[in-house]
Amino acid sequence: MSWNRVAVVGAGLIRFGELFDQSYEQMAAGAFTAAMANVDKGFEPVQVEAAMIATQRGTLWGQEGIGGNTVPTALGIAGIPCTRIENACPSGSDAFRIGAMAVASGVHDVVLVIGVEKMRDKSTEEGLLARAAAGHPVYTRGESAPVLFAPFATRHMHEFGTTREMLASVAVKNHHNGTLDPYAHFQTEVTVEQVLKAPPVCHPLHLLDCCPQTDGAAAAILVNAERAREFTDHPVYVAGFGVATDHPYLHEKTTFTALPATVKAAERAYAMAGIGPADVDLAEVHDCFTITEILDIEDLGFCEKGKGGVMSIEGETALTGRIPVNPSGGLLAKGHPIGASGVAQLTECWWQLRGQADGRQVTIRNGFALQHNVGGRGSGVSVVNVLTTNAS
Amino acid sequence: MTAAVSRVKILAVGAALPSLRLTAGDVTATWGAGARRGTTAVCAPDEDVLTLSWHAAERALAAAGVDPTDVDGLWWGTSRPPFAEGPSLSLLAAALRLRDDIAGALNSGSTLAGLDALLSAWDAVAAGAARVALVVGADALRPGLGTAFEAWAGAGAAALVLRAGDGPATLTHRVARGRPVLDRYRGDREPATRDLYDSRLFREQIFLPLIDDIGAAISDGVDAWSLPDPDGRLGAAAAQRVGASVVSSGEAYEAAGDTGSAAPLLGALAALAAPGVVAIVGYGGGRMSAVTIEVDTEVPGAADVHRVLASGRRSSYPEVLRARGELVPSGETVEMAVPPGSAAFVRGEVEMIGLLGARCIDCGTVNTPPSVHPACTGCGGAKLEEIALARTGSVHTFVVNHTMPAPFVAPLPLVVVDLDDGARLMLQGTSDDATSLAIDDRVELVLRRYTVERGVPVYGFKVHKVETATKGETP
Repeated sequence: MSWNRVAVVGAGLIRFGELFDQSYEQMAAGAFTAAMANVDKGFEPVQVEAAMIATQRGTLWGQEGIGGNTVPTALGIAGIPCTRIENACPSGSDAFRIGAMAVASGVHDVVLVIGVEKMRDKSTEEGLLARAAAGHPVYTRGESAPVLFAPFATRHMHEFGTTREMLASVAVKNHHNGTLDPYAHFQTEVTVEQVLKAPPVCHPLHLLDCCPQTDGAAAAILVNAERAREFTDHPVYVAGFGVATDHPYLHEKTTFTALPATVKAAERAYAMAGIGPADVDLAEVHDCFTITEILDIEDLGFCEKGKGGVMSIEGETALTGRIPVNPSGGLLAKGHPIGASGVAQLTECWWQLRGQADGRQVTIRNGFALQHNVGGRGSGVSVVNVLTTNAS
Repeated sequence: MTAAVSRVKILAVGAALPSLRLTAGDVTATWGAGARRGTTAVCAPDEDVLTLSWHAAERALAAAGVDPTDVDGLWWGTSRPPFAEGPSLSLLAAALRLRDDIAGALNSGSTLAGLDALLSAWDAVAAGAARVALVVGADALRPGLGTAFEAWAGAGAAALVLRAGDGPATLTHRVARGRPVLDRYRGDREPATRDLYDSRLFREQIFLPLIDDIGAAISDGVDAWSLPDPDGRLGAAAAQRVGASVVSSGEAYEAAGDTGSAAPLLGALAALAAPGVVAIVGYGGGRMSAVTIEVDTEVPGAADVHRVLASGRRSSYPEVLRARGELVPSGETVEMAVPPGSAAFVRGEVEMIGLLGARCIDCGTVNTPPSVHPACTGCGGAKLEEIALARTGSVHTFVVNHTMPAPFVAPLPLVVVDLDDGARLMLQGTSDDATSLAIDDRVELVLRRYTVERGVPVYGFKVHKVETATKGETP
């Protein structure tokens, strides 16, 4: 029996990309407008009772201490309660989880969850890569984002015989899905050979094993399930969620072939939703790098540990496969505007469950979609949300 | 005047050279000067006088079989301390895991500093102020671009462990002469050392008169000599003047060039492998000093010096210029989020440079660094004891990072290493290993300079391969 106290009645995003012509505030407004437009029975800004905003790193666009007040002003609803959620790469999915809890608590009936991230206002060197100099002066020095995942690739290949071709199959699939997603940053196919021959970024990961730096925003409107029918005849419910942490230094990992935070978050979300991995119709998972998706599908229980590479190269995660993974194109093709990513993944799940995903629509058998992020220092934070069309 | 000071023994010695070797001919060819033979030892970007000193001292302590906590004093001589004003000596002591209450001093101001340090330590042991003394002479000379000195200036370190009581070799005599003259010179705000004098003026009026005096005072019965050779020619003249038949310092000059404050000691170490009398003569800052050593039996570590001198990787002149900070890429560099003057360094410097961990008394998990681990990552317990981590281990997994902003230099390995005491760490690897690392490689941890942040050098340990695994992938 699912939890189902909260319904998602609207969701939307702006086309992801290097949005040099849009400000942070304009992106937020665009996502809010898109989400409102997707509410079947109409929605007005004044109906928002409270908002949770996810922005992972204001420093990437020159805002050191962005709080919860920037977005309401941009949306024309200044004055509402609004809190900024920052929890590494799962910031957006955690804002969604916290928004769902705010609704379930009965404090608010209508909560806006909005993820907004400016990744490209600064150059790569001054922006995302500057994290190589953040943190501990020695123990994390040189740790740019790929370093959080590449050692898992090295070890996964060593222990399970996972190959670069298997990693590449993830990129090829997600870029293909991206060609079917009008919101994706990249909408062109890539070949296995292109992935293999791309320049090295962080051995053993090469350029096309990595997601791009993408600006974007996405929004979802959460309401008390008892009021869902005021907004739509086709509500999607929050079936369950889970969040888990793991140690922040990579040297504290006891394994380099799994992400324990994902395993724990998934266990909690499955238990709350009353389902298991076999009940999931599609998954939007955190594929910041190709190896991450392989770890994810193992850690989420879609295959045995060590078989993720084989499962990928054999097409089981394709749109028509046993369990379609990242039909939106994933972070690899759609892009990874960090705070927005989770909310955008949830938007894709919402569309898929409602049968609105056009050329990338997957078969919905059980009515469950899973959304997952993992990240932060030591990939030590993971959030899993499960959505369903099944009224409990 | 020869002075007999109370007898002090040499227990063991150690040497270290940086990883790059610059061919002198490459330098002279660049500037259109005449061809010159030989090579000099030059620091990689992550090496400097502190890291070389650490390495030589570690080797000497290991050869002596002395536990670092038994060392009562550290005497360090270098014309180029890592901080012109700052915690040079205490940083080296912490990196060597010496006690925080030790005696000692940093000798500097000229290239005689290494020999000065030996004399100071000798005095301290003779006086009973220290029972076990560690002496390090080291330098990483920085020559002016295009000067004749550039093709001769080198880097290296030599260390000796002294003790009262028994030992394989004895410090016997010392002599000194001084003249208030300028020779090699560097003023405030000057990065490069310059030679003020016409080489003939220096030779005839300063160097040879001093060597004649020194030679007259100590040459009786000397079997092997370590002699100063500040320009690549004066060494031969000195040998002739003192009547030396064996010049042990030739090998070190040939391999490393003029290693400044390290040179007199480095040039003598190999000779301590055989019984006999060894004379060490050093010059710098208008002074010349000499000591004699009677070797009864082979001094531990002395035979290893040949291997150290033969090590190193040939490097191009542009690579050396970049390593020395003469060639700097344009553009911004990203700043360290934790500035060296911040409280995080006050809390964390000893555990970082001493490579300390916190072992859980309940479950045995080693947590690193201790200051951010009030609770054990293994069991959550709070009963933790500080330990010095092992510095050998095996590669568990690794990456090679190719995309980082300045001041990082790619390719940069980052290595998760399982240390032999059961601890796991992730640390930078050395650039030389970037193309050959593999899972299960045996590695050692070596002190390196991670960066120079806002003008302040920041040190930590890096992973360095010691042998190749029999299986595993390579980048």
